Amino acid sequence: MEPILEVEGISLQFGGVKALDNVTYHINKGEIFSLIGPNGAGKTSMLNCISGLYQPTSGSIRYKGQEIINMKPYERTTLGMARAFQNIALFAHMSVLDNLKLGRHSLMSSGVFSGGLYVGKASNEEIAHRRKVEEVIEFLELQDIRHTPVGTLPYGLQKRVEVGRALALGPELILLDEPMAGMNNAEKDMMSSFILDMHEVMDTTVVLIEHDLGIVMGLSDHIAVLDFGKRIGFGTPKEIQQNPDVIKAYIGEETVI
Amino acid sequence: MRNLFVRECGNYKTSYSDDMKLFGTSGAKVKALLIVAVVALVPMIASNYWVGLLTLCAIASIGAIGLNILTGFTGQISIGVGAFLGVGGYASAILTSTYGVSFWISLPLAGLITAVIGGLFGIPSLRLKGLYLAIATLAAQVIILFVISRWTSVTGGTSGMTLSRPEIGSFALTSNTSYFYLSIIVLIFTILYATNLLRTRVGRAFLAVRDRDIAAQIMGINLFQYKVMAFAISSFFVGISGALLAHYTMIVSPELYDFHVSIEYLAMILIGGLGSVFGSILGAVFITLLPVGLSSMVDILTVYMPDLYQILSAFKEFVFGFVIILFLIFEPGGLAHIWLNMKKYFKLWPFSY
Repeated sequence: MEPILEVEGISLQFGGVKALDNVTYHINKGEIFSLIGPNGAGKTSMLNCISGLYQPTSGSIRYKGQEIINMKPYERTTLGMARAFQNIALFAHMSVLDNLKLGRHSLMSSGVFSGGLYVGKASNEEIAHRRKVEEVIEFLELQDIRHTPVGTLPYGLQKRVEVGRALALGPELILLDEPMAGMNNAEKDMMSSFILDMHEVMDTTVVLIEHDLGIVMGLSDHIAVLDFGKRIGFGTPKEIQQNPDVIKAYIGEETVI
Repeated sequence: MRNLFVRECGNYKTSYSDDMKLFGTSGAKVKALLIVAVVALVPMIASNYWVGLLTLCAIASIGAIGLNILTGFTGQISIGVGAFLGVGGYASAILTSTYGVSFWISLPLAGLITAVIGGLFGIPSLRLKGLYLAIATLAAQVIILFVISRWTSVTGGTSGMTLSRPEIGSFALTSNTSYFYLSIIVLIFTILYATNLLRTRVGRAFLAVRDRDIAAQIMGINLFQYKVMAFAISSFFVGISGALLAHYTMIVSPELYDFHVSIEYLAMILIGGLGSVFGSILGAVFITLLPVGLSSMVDILTVYMPDLYQILSAFKEFVFGFVIILFLIFEPGGLAHIWLNMKKYFKLWPFSY
């Protein structure tokens, strides 16, 4: 198994607060990888470092062997890296279709002139990418709401569109930040099956942040556990379940009364 | 062809290209052509005075669409529109009067020059948002007007410059009617361009920058590039509008591009509807005709109450502000939203349940 993403010694400091402290792990190509840890452990900060919103204080992130630490966020998209946000960050006034099309922004090329005239290249491109976007719409079962403005949709559907927008890029690596937060069990099951399909049918490498440990243990190939910015565990679900540090972080220490 | 008065009751499109057409049904196409035909026939029935007013409406609409691309679609507030109109007007004045360039070349050039200057003043938008950006664009307004009124050797200073009406061969567009047609043709191109742009890649990126700039960045949008691009495209149309206006009134002078012009244009897109091409036109027409409507109302009232004239002459500013406040409270979506609601209502009328 070759790694698609190698994170090495990443530290991130905000003033006196160490959000991430020398974190090292790697993600293999084609696996489902989970990042877990208590609230405030630095999981979202970690994703922000990977997608380029935060500049780590030190360390290195390599995507397929290529150092990406100095790349701008919009440049990283062209590598085939997509992300869904924890707090829905959709474009509320745009339709589902347009949100997903925007996910393919970096794959399209029409500009100020061809777009404004809507002849030849621009219209062909719009139609070709519409076809691709419709595949994602079908995959996530969003057909009936494709023309609805996203802001008017209920929470669960917005979460699904959020994942869809990332998926529309046709990414090799997709970063999902708590895609199941606030969902009921039926919705969680549905999202889990989408994630499994992404992995098995589309051959996408999935990075998942999730609090529901049952789902994490069931889905993941490998897991990294963060606590107060430190990596306290890294391995297969089985290894993580037996890791004393992880148990301590989640359940607390055994005390003798 | 199907009956024009029967509305579609479902979605009968069978291909993506059908679904993405600008005029999706034959009805919509005929309707658009009808509107163009009616507008083209206006000079035959309207008086010269009204043709002149409508020309001003068309020119203001071009500028309002320009401003809406920036403020309504990309979410970057600008209160320097007045000055950018001035840049367009002066660019065309200098090109045609000083250098003898033909109007047909100077019009697009005026747009391009304004686009470059607009893009330049758009650079702070990377760091500044909302109110802070508004103040930065206010600086553009002040700086540009300062340059215009002090650079006497080029711009003629406070006394301004005179321009001539454009000519096609030996035919000069001196009549209101001919200039009306010119403005309408430019307006139609502007509408088509803006509508097309906003449904393709660049326009979507603009909306994304407005709605969620951080997410837009992660989706592969270079914020800086697109913000500056929005400033440039917007300024291009404002510049075109300024040049058209200058050749229509045949004069440019600094006080025509005052701060209150910027406010008027902001009022146009607020009242018309932020983020709507059609709304920009409605707003531009509304604001352009508002003083006309008010003064004719004053004329009628003074016949009965002669003393009122003194009070009512200040009425324009009052109504102007009052209308904006009313719209912000009761219909933030603007005239465009009212129009949509009316359309929805009549779609099912009289069986709206």
